[in-house]
Amino acid sequence: MSHNPDTETFAGNPSNRRRGSAYFNTLLARPESPALLFLILLLVVFSVTTNGFFSASNFLGILEQVVIIAIVGLAVNQVILSAEIDVSVGSVLAVCAFIYGNIAMAYGGNLLPLFAALAVGTAIGFLNGVLSTYGRVPSIITTLGALFIYRGLILLLAGAQVLNVPKSSRVLGLSDLAGIPVSVIVLTVLTAAFYWVSNNTNWGRNIYAVGGNESGANTLGLPAYRTRLIAFVLSGSACGLAAAVFLGQIGQLQATAGTSFELRVITAVVLGGTSIRGGRGSVFSPIVGALLVGVILNAMTLNRVPGTMELFVLGVLILLSVSSEGLRQRYLEKKI
Amino acid sequence: MTGNNTRAARAGGLLTNPFSKLGRTTVLAIIFVLQITLTSLLVPGYFSVWGLLDASRAFVEVGFISLAMTLIIITGGIDLSVGALLALVSVTIGFSYQAGLPLGAACALGVLVGVAGGTLNGLITTYFRLHPLVVTLGTFALFRGIAFAVSDADAVSSFPRWFSFFGQYKFGGMVPAQLVLLGICAVIFWLLLAKTPFGRYVYALGHNPTASRFSGVATEKVTVAVYAIMGLMVGLAGLIHTSRIFSARGNAGFGLELVAIAIVVMGGARILGGSGTIWGTVVGLLILSYLQDGLSFAGVRGDIGLTIIGFALILGVFLNENIQKIR
Repeated sequence: MSHNPDTETFAGNPSNRRRGSAYFNTLLARPESPALLFLILLLVVFSVTTNGFFSASNFLGILEQVVIIAIVGLAVNQVILSAEIDVSVGSVLAVCAFIYGNIAMAYGGNLLPLFAALAVGTAIGFLNGVLSTYGRVPSIITTLGALFIYRGLILLLAGAQVLNVPKSSRVLGLSDLAGIPVSVIVLTVLTAAFYWVSNNTNWGRNIYAVGGNESGANTLGLPAYRTRLIAFVLSGSACGLAAAVFLGQIGQLQATAGTSFELRVITAVVLGGTSIRGGRGSVFSPIVGALLVGVILNAMTLNRVPGTMELFVLGVLILLSVSSEGLRQRYLEKKI
Repeated sequence: MTGNNTRAARAGGLLTNPFSKLGRTTVLAIIFVLQITLTSLLVPGYFSVWGLLDASRAFVEVGFISLAMTLIIITGGIDLSVGALLALVSVTIGFSYQAGLPLGAACALGVLVGVAGGTLNGLITTYFRLHPLVVTLGTFALFRGIAFAVSDADAVSSFPRWFSFFGQYKFGGMVPAQLVLLGICAVIFWLLLAKTPFGRYVYALGHNPTASRFSGVATEKVTVAVYAIMGLMVGLAGLIHTSRIFSARGNAGFGLELVAIAIVVMGGARILGGSGTIWGTVVGLLILSYLQDGLSFAGVRGDIGLTIIGFALILGVFLNENIQKIR
């Protein structure tokens, strides 16, 4: 894999440490930095104003809630970076959880159900990707159609079924290592992997090129279709993994599980600073964005805001973050 | 029908006929007739004029929305917020009536909320130059969120008798009132799209936004107008929906946006903009709606309807994109 020089602005390069303030400026210019500052601000504000917010157990609770959004967000982030979209993740998560639950009930264990869920998720992602690229169907149509196809199937198949996963098959949701939930460790490893791949592989760099300037990328001979296809496949696989964590945490499956999950994921990604137009963003955007969503929803619960307000808040967050992106664009155009 | 189809296509300058020498709309109409014949033969007791007319009550609401969605998709846009906006309109009517507003005024307020919601979509899209996809994804959550927050998962159904007129009255005991209204709206939309400068601008905008801006088309005004028209149609649909099921609740209209988009795409509009016709949408509406109706009459469970619509949507776009490629 080629090593791209312009990715060396970060960790591991000793010359950066000597640059001092320049390094700090680069840090501020990163796409996820405004969201990160906002997150820190919110953490301080809620810690002061909200009873029960500032405690290790609450923070761990937030992390556990956020893990599922973040895992899928990492992959959907790549899809959005490549200037496509995936709104099917809620239904795909439900399908994968259905598979995981049934295999776990029939055979027990953790690995077999996990692999089954991963396989199904990956297959669905592949189908979405092929249709959205080689099939020339815009991804919003493919994934919107997929959202309803799989939701219809899951309502049909799991509508009447009561699915109770045995405790021994819920390792990803329940157990912890040295006090840290296994799911959080998985997320950390996954984030590191995405960071490495994004900076050190052709595919990781091509995503930005294809999403930022498609005709330019085509002129250079970059494989636009294949690059996007891989992003869709990853999005499906991430749903498979997230389904294992989800079912591990909840223990049972309802046919409506994961409804409007795609909204939370997309909110997390764009809130974290990835441009919805593609081409600009960071691997850490979905993590920061998911934490923001998690912290806000958690503070709402602690302050006894009724749960019916949740969708409203998500809508306002999406609109605010995409409008600020629009404003940035307008500002840049004026400057030129 | 065929004449209008080709004429409108020439105005847009894009759609060459994907099937033989017959217009696509004609082909779809033939498919529709075959479909009704087949269902009637396969499902005993299905065919009756009364039954078919009565079934139309279930799809008139999505029909209104599909008409306006045709305009939006021709401009190259999309509106994912219509189901949520319909819920908001319904909740507005129900809860402002419950709060003491006269029902007539509550209905007017509901339709007004619809127009305001649609206009908001158009304004955000044009002012921030964002793709309507993300804007309406945001307002989807916003509208449904407000509807849930206002209704607090409660429902209003204590309407006076006369309110049932919009959704339950039938002319001569046969023809549902809202079906007549839909027919009138379809003609108005056809005139608007095929016979007025505004219609030409809509096609031009979808075909090439930059060129239309340079040719003096007020692209931003056309965009806002198209979304405002959608708001009006959602307002009407919300009013009829509330009257038909005689209750206002926050979860109304779930998945409506998908059905509307599937109908428009099946009617031959390219999802990327620039082509499409009102009569294509009307036939698409008939095909998809009577497919669902026939299935539920035959005793197939309703959940599979979602799956079928999803398939129809993907298949419709796939055929549109790949048949035109061959040309």
